[in-house]
Amino acid sequence: MIRATVDRAFAPTRGVLAEAGEMVILTGRTIVSAVRPPYAYGAELAAQFMFALRLCWLPLLIATVAFGYEAPGLQAANFLVLFGALDRLGGFFVLASIREFAPFVDAIVLAGVAGTAITADLGARRIREELDALEVLGVDPVKSLVVPRFLALMLVTGLFDIYALVFGVFGGVLATLVNNEPLGPFWATFFNNATTTDLWGSVVKTTLFGAIIAVVCCYKGMTASGGAEGVGRAVNQAVVITFLAIFAFNYVFTQVLLATHPALTTIVK
Amino acid sequence: MSVASTAPQPERHDPEAAAAPLGGGSSRPVPPPGAPDDHYEFHSYTVHPSGRRNVVEFVDTYKSFGPNQILRGLTMGLPEGMVSMILGPSGTGKSVCIKHMVGLLYPDSGDVLVHGESVPNMTESRLFEMRKKFGLLFQDGALFSSMNLYDNVAFPLRHHTNKSEQEIEEIVMRRLKEVGLGNARERFPNELSGGMRKRAGFARALVLGPDIVLFDEPDSGLDPVRTALLGELILEVHREMVEEAKAEGKEFLPTFAVVTHDIMSARRVADYINVLWRGRIVEAGPAEAMLNSENPFIRQFLAGDSQGPLSMD
Repeated sequence: MIRATVDRAFAPTRGVLAEAGEMVILTGRTIVSAVRPPYAYGAELAAQFMFALRLCWLPLLIATVAFGYEAPGLQAANFLVLFGALDRLGGFFVLASIREFAPFVDAIVLAGVAGTAITADLGARRIREELDALEVLGVDPVKSLVVPRFLALMLVTGLFDIYALVFGVFGGVLATLVNNEPLGPFWATFFNNATTTDLWGSVVKTTLFGAIIAVVCCYKGMTASGGAEGVGRAVNQAVVITFLAIFAFNYVFTQVLLATHPALTTIVK
Repeated sequence: MSVASTAPQPERHDPEAAAAPLGGGSSRPVPPPGAPDDHYEFHSYTVHPSGRRNVVEFVDTYKSFGPNQILRGLTMGLPEGMVSMILGPSGTGKSVCIKHMVGLLYPDSGDVLVHGESVPNMTESRLFEMRKKFGLLFQDGALFSSMNLYDNVAFPLRHHTNKSEQEIEEIVMRRLKEVGLGNARERFPNELSGGMRKRAGFARALVLGPDIVLFDEPDSGLDPVRTALLGELILEVHREMVEEAKAEGKEFLPTFAVVTHDIMSARRVADYINVLWRGRIVEAGPAEAMLNSENPFIRQFLAGDSQGPLSMD
């Protein structure tokens, strides 16, 4: 009786945990089959890389410039102008754009644009029994479909981070210009605060974001069920889970990075 | 296979084995746990002898999805070198059977044997190897939408053989012509009709020269004429493959298994019929024996009659 009640109460939790566990297993299988020869996924990797690039470059450009200009740009500038300290906007952009906003916008755009496309594609293949057909024809879908998407998304998200932070900082430049200030002090405080740790930290973080997006979106696509409606549900869940996972992982990553590199916590004049 | 061998084997670890009456080996298998008594009254479990060994065998297989019990102690064989039908009302687990044979699904208990080897106990690499024995035609063909027809059919050859592109082309075009799609090689799956997709899936299932070809509802979504033509094609290809296998002295003659609820095609195509209902075989045997069966359920089902044991519920 007690057992049954407890089981009922925790049934949803168990579902969530089981799903999270399966995603971890998929991650493990993906890494193992990516490393183990043969490496026949090269063509698909290139195709997926180009696909994500083609799909994401414009949305990411618009999102980063607009977000950089508006949130850390205009809002922070309004605040800094109070103290006559708008030159510090450059230094603030190292914190804001390089460490947080660029990776964030990068991950969100990649998940929303490329990740959903992956879930929809794999989900449709699951529904059309193409994935079953692959397995019956003796081809491992993890190796032939998940591995190239996993590697391509890690690569693309990592590289797009640099693209995103360049345009994010461009947003800051715009905000400075709008306030009729010279750019010299902006760049001075920017480069005083920017370190290589900031850059690699940002790139490593987004590369791992890419891995999270790929695993969650592939998992949701490959386990879709229930016809066209099921594919829609899978896409929806994939986006929600990806965002939650990215937010959670970002917190852990930032804490670890700050704890292991205390120099990052000091603001340089 | 006799009636006696369909009784649960005591050495299998399922709850039922213990409940099976001891002594009197010819007694009827007990119904699955939780089933109403009268659900299995028409299951005579008679198996008319086919005179051939079975290439695929289900041994007391149970499978459920959540609360839905699909296979409920299924014991069934597919005799070598015949075109077998797995026939049954909708939702009795016919497609689930096929997925068990190729290891896409695993039974909750019981065993599935292919050429005497247990599928659920295979290692992953052995399973991938074993699947090369199979050709499987999925309900809607399951063609890869990113490839044209030619590449779809060539796919298994490119993956599993070292044949040159020229040899591949020869085999692929032969198979495509055989199914009447010789002129459609450059077309993509979404440009084809349902019947064409099925035929293309058939061509792809045949390219590796499989020992066992499975058809998952080849007649779903096809008009009666196309269904009849597809049935003829299946028979023709089977005859041809049997002759080839005999000439080459292969170990196993090609076996076809068709899952369907279409009685017309069953009458035309089948050498052997398994009738599946409520997750178990009602009766099985060569086509003539089955068509003359005294069992009221079999008579109703094979006649497509609305009067009889099978009703809407």
